[in-house]
Amino acid sequence: MTRAVAVLLTAVLTLAQSAPAHAYLKFGFRIGGQTVDVKWANAAVRYFVNERDIPGVTAPDMRAAVARAAATWQAVPGTTLRFADQGFTTASPVGLDGRNTLGFLDRPDLDRVLGATSLLIDSSTGALVEADIFFNTRFTWSVAPQGEAGRVDVESVVLHELGHFVGLGHSAIGETERTATGGRRVLGSGAVMFPIALTPGATADRVLQDDDEAAVQDLYTADAGNRTSGSITGRVTKNGRGVYGAHVVAFHPESGRIVGGFSLNANGDFVIAGLDPGPHIVRVEPLDDADVESFLSGDVDVDFRAAYAPRMVVAPAGGSSGAVEVQVAPK
Amino acid sequence: MWALASAQVFAQGGQAPPSLLAHHVTVSGGLVWTGGYSIGDATAVLRGNAVGATAAPFTLFDAHSSVDGSVGVEGHVGFAVTPTLTVEGGVSYQRPGISTDLSQDAEAAAVTLDAEHLVQYLFDAAVVWQIPTVGLGTRIQPFVVVGGGYLRQLYDERTVVETGSVYYAGAGVRYWLRGGDGQNRSVGRRPDGRAMWRLDGVDFENRTRVAPMVTVHMFLEF
Repeated sequence: MTRAVAVLLTAVLTLAQSAPAHAYLKFGFRIGGQTVDVKWANAAVRYFVNERDIPGVTAPDMRAAVARAAATWQAVPGTTLRFADQGFTTASPVGLDGRNTLGFLDRPDLDRVLGATSLLIDSSTGALVEADIFFNTRFTWSVAPQGEAGRVDVESVVLHELGHFVGLGHSAIGETERTATGGRRVLGSGAVMFPIALTPGATADRVLQDDDEAAVQDLYTADAGNRTSGSITGRVTKNGRGVYGAHVVAFHPESGRIVGGFSLNANGDFVIAGLDPGPHIVRVEPLDDADVESFLSGDVDVDFRAAYAPRMVVAPAGGSSGAVEVQVAPK
Repeated sequence: MWALASAQVFAQGGQAPPSLLAHHVTVSGGLVWTGGYSIGDATAVLRGNAVGATAAPFTLFDAHSSVDGSVGVEGHVGFAVTPTLTVEGGVSYQRPGISTDLSQDAEAAAVTLDAEHLVQYLFDAAVVWQIPTVGLGTRIQPFVVVGGGYLRQLYDERTVVETGSVYYAGAGVRYWLRGGDGQNRSVGRRPDGRAMWRLDGVDFENRTRVAPMVTVHMFLEF
């Protein structure tokens, strides 16, 4: 088996390298000129929890938080994803040792990174071979049921990192504002997989959002031949040319579900899957609410104004819409 | 001509009002207009950011959608149980559009989307009771109608179907061009106006909607 070097992904607070070249809410890997999904091939993903305690969070606390977050992911209906808790380990949550390990790690140099996931990918199939998650002890953490002001909620961050752990990339469904210190503050978030964390003490990210569920359903669908969700395909253009890296959101007025995706090539093509059948409002905006590198590599175009598809777009059950073109104008 | 016609109606005022022949079949067809109605407001919201589990949501944009008024065709087959009471069933076909207004987007101007058109069929049944009114002459008689049916709506791409129910009540007149005298087969016009209650179908809030409905038919008795 040929194995590729892991792709390092930061979780909540910005900055790392995203998956090579292509990602639509899930990581992709180029094999023989084609992009395949990065995912676990086995039925149950086994993991260990590092036995280290930190102030405010014991190892059993950590293990319980991981178990809750794992249960949240595997409770998404229509998926095959399963986790298997293997207990405590002394192994580090980084490095290649054949164990999927989650735990705290001292990384004072990473002053904006709450946690990070590293993935080892079989370069011949795209299957995940090993994954580790560390949580940065530079920050103060909490497992309080209602959250604690000023302390980062462990379960929320574990839930986000487990998304990467199973092959999901970042979602761009969120709005932010610049802070005086040069960072960003979240105004609103529509996905646990948004790359910037909520305020320390917030626990809203313990609950998966529609976009998260659509992504994991797309990646680990239980019955691909009997898929009832639909998809929307289309193209984002500016002055007649394709836009790479536009953030495209589909809103289903009847259910209120919001699911996002990206235009992933120079032609501006996008696909948004996992949608409720029926009409959707399609909105396009530039990737300007977080560091572009959190989502995609390459020359992402952010020089355009938000715009809508000219009419509602119907996602059919088990199929895809006709191609829709969304024209955007330069800022 | 108007004076002549009025004189004729007056002269015939003492005669029996026109009616259909009992146990005969009537076929009618014509145009139907249905007024527009709202199908709901929806707000695209993101979770707010605050300590704890909940926070005030962040509005991405607001959407208001409505089904536009439209004209279609309709056909009915009726059976006269008595000269004044008819049961009928039929189908109508319309192509209404769905309009959507978007607003409250912090990053984009308010906009109205182009209409997404529906292919709409209504299979309905109704009871028509001709009001035994005297004094309107031998050509015109009012009636009331109540009915309901099965609504089937397909989006333009014909890939998604929405179904619902329609109930209506209204009134109109039959205007005989021929017959109505108890001897000969009837031919005439039949305009009516109705209030229509629509349940389910394309609706983003799954609420009952009310809209006006007007039909203009020609009818032919066999």
